[in-house]
Amino acid sequence: MAGMKPVALSPSRDIRLDLFRGLALWFIFLDHVPDNIVSWLTVRNYGFSDATEIFVYISGYTAVIAYSRMLARDGWPKAAARIYRRVWQLYVAHILLFVAFTAQIAWVSIAKDTTALIEEMELLGLGQDPYRALMEAALLKFRPANLDVLPLYIVLLAFFPLILPVVVRWPRAVIVASVAFYEAACHFDWNLPGYPESKVWYFNPLAWQVVFHTGAAMAVLGPKLKWLDRWRWQISVLALVYLAFAGFIALSWHYNALERLVPQWLARQLYPIDKTNVDILRFLHFLAVAWFVRLAVPPGAPFLKWRILEPLRRCGEHSLQIFCLGTFLALSAQIVDAQFEGSILSQVIVSFAGIVIMSAAAYGASWYKGEADQTVSL
Amino acid sequence: MSARSLALAALLSLVLPPSGAALADQLQCRATRALLDLGNPLQMAREAVADRKELRIVAMGSSSTQGYGATNPQYAYPAQLKMRLDAALPGVAVHVFNKGVGGQDAEEEEQRMRQDVKPENAQIVVWQVGTNSAIRRTPLDKFAEKLRAGIDIGRSLGPEFVLMNLQYVPAVVALPDEEDYARVMAEVAREKNVGLFHRFEIMRAWYNDGMPYAQFVTNDGLHLNDFGQKCIGKLLAQAILEAVRPAQLTGEPKPRN
Repeated sequence: MAGMKPVALSPSRDIRLDLFRGLALWFIFLDHVPDNIVSWLTVRNYGFSDATEIFVYISGYTAVIAYSRMLARDGWPKAAARIYRRVWQLYVAHILLFVAFTAQIAWVSIAKDTTALIEEMELLGLGQDPYRALMEAALLKFRPANLDVLPLYIVLLAFFPLILPVVVRWPRAVIVASVAFYEAACHFDWNLPGYPESKVWYFNPLAWQVVFHTGAAMAVLGPKLKWLDRWRWQISVLALVYLAFAGFIALSWHYNALERLVPQWLARQLYPIDKTNVDILRFLHFLAVAWFVRLAVPPGAPFLKWRILEPLRRCGEHSLQIFCLGTFLALSAQIVDAQFEGSILSQVIVSFAGIVIMSAAAYGASWYKGEADQTVSL
Repeated sequence: MSARSLALAALLSLVLPPSGAALADQLQCRATRALLDLGNPLQMAREAVADRKELRIVAMGSSSTQGYGATNPQYAYPAQLKMRLDAALPGVAVHVFNKGVGGQDAEEEEQRMRQDVKPENAQIVVWQVGTNSAIRRTPLDKFAEKLRAGIDIGRSLGPEFVLMNLQYVPAVVALPDEEDYARVMAEVAREKNVGLFHRFEIMRAWYNDGMPYAQFVTNDGLHLNDFGQKCIGKLLAQAILEAVRPAQLTGEPKPRN
């Protein structure tokens, strides 16, 4: 069987991944600032899925690109060890972010001589039982506000050494198994334990793995997806109809006149559109978007190299640092915003400033790393 | 038109902001006085506030109580309730114990009523319930039975009850019989002589006044977002204050020593 041989992936860097991951990071930042008018620009207002799907999918995709060659060249133990080095980096980054996030709240409260912010932003459990909360944070069971994406990524990557040798040989089998596991997790309500006891993971790794593993399988399939092009028109029409439908439903949340047009029987099928278990409507929406991205943006598309898009690419290249920085800055933006009672001007300014800082940091990271270094990073 | 330009057009249509962003004129957090009437004097709570300068509340319920959908657990209605009561009742030690467990229905909450209510020595149990029972299509008579059983268990331990009914959100409104669950809750509240916080009717009034779902619901169409949670916390605090605020605040001031 031809599929038995691991696929040799093209060695050149696919800058689409950097660009769209950078975009996802900007969206995540904008969406994490509460009541932010600038978040009207982000994908979540126009359909079911949001930047989380983009981020997780690309993470799966790049995991294959980064480690499949290592697997072929150095064997499984070395590749697995490298994956675990990365898991460790993610873990350290998460814990650092947790501390910085908490420290920011404490610092602002002390500097402004008020405990109101600590109360307002209290990371539930940390105030009441700090020792226990720290322990649970170390176990990734306690993940206060907006700190739940990295733990998801950590769990997914921790299982990746088992997936990697399979996905490079049988990508389709991985998709089938992953979808089956996703169905089972949703049906039997499987999730990982959280803290406090009654909580579960906001992004259930047992469900969200389907996005990650589909991304991983697609990275292996790559050029083999050409067979889909035989039905290019049919798929495009279907995807477009679905995107239009999702767009209409998403807009109906903002306009009651549109909302009244949604028939009861349809609403009964749609809702709830679960985020914890990445509802199938969300996943399909992401796939429809990805389909059009695939058509519109081939790997060598000239606009990918436009200078004006360079900040996005830079952010995508240093996604871990920029993700952490973005989460930290979203909290800063929220605090500044509150000072100006959430005026539209302050929302625009903090959003713009946050993106400038994230981009500047990404350029700094590139400069530090050295322009010549072309190795693929996660 | 080539497939590529079609795809580009589709992408562009995804990023163009809609005309007249609905954010411009957001509606206020509000409810009529009639909707805030709990229909119960909460005598024990009133006495505890007046005599012992203490108010202890157990928030029993599911994801709304736990705060799923809020960006911060402090925005969940129980924490907001405490903040509002603290501000309105200076000198009174207010405690709100959050016993929300996401996904549970009336039956599961009835089963843990004793263990969760007993240790807190509360004067009020706010029982947020109904939504998950309605979504799971629990038969109405069984639902009513579990409500009665839960209230009986809870009251045998001391506190008075305030039932909080379903949230008015797309996933609930789409059900064929969500109003029957709200009706059963009102009937049981009357029969058992406990309070009822009309969350369903309050939120329906928001919607009918033109407030878009996006303002108070997360985009799963089921859970309250920050605004929804904070507003319900504020309105519930108002409703409870109506009942328990010491008479002297509106009438003769009590002499201080």
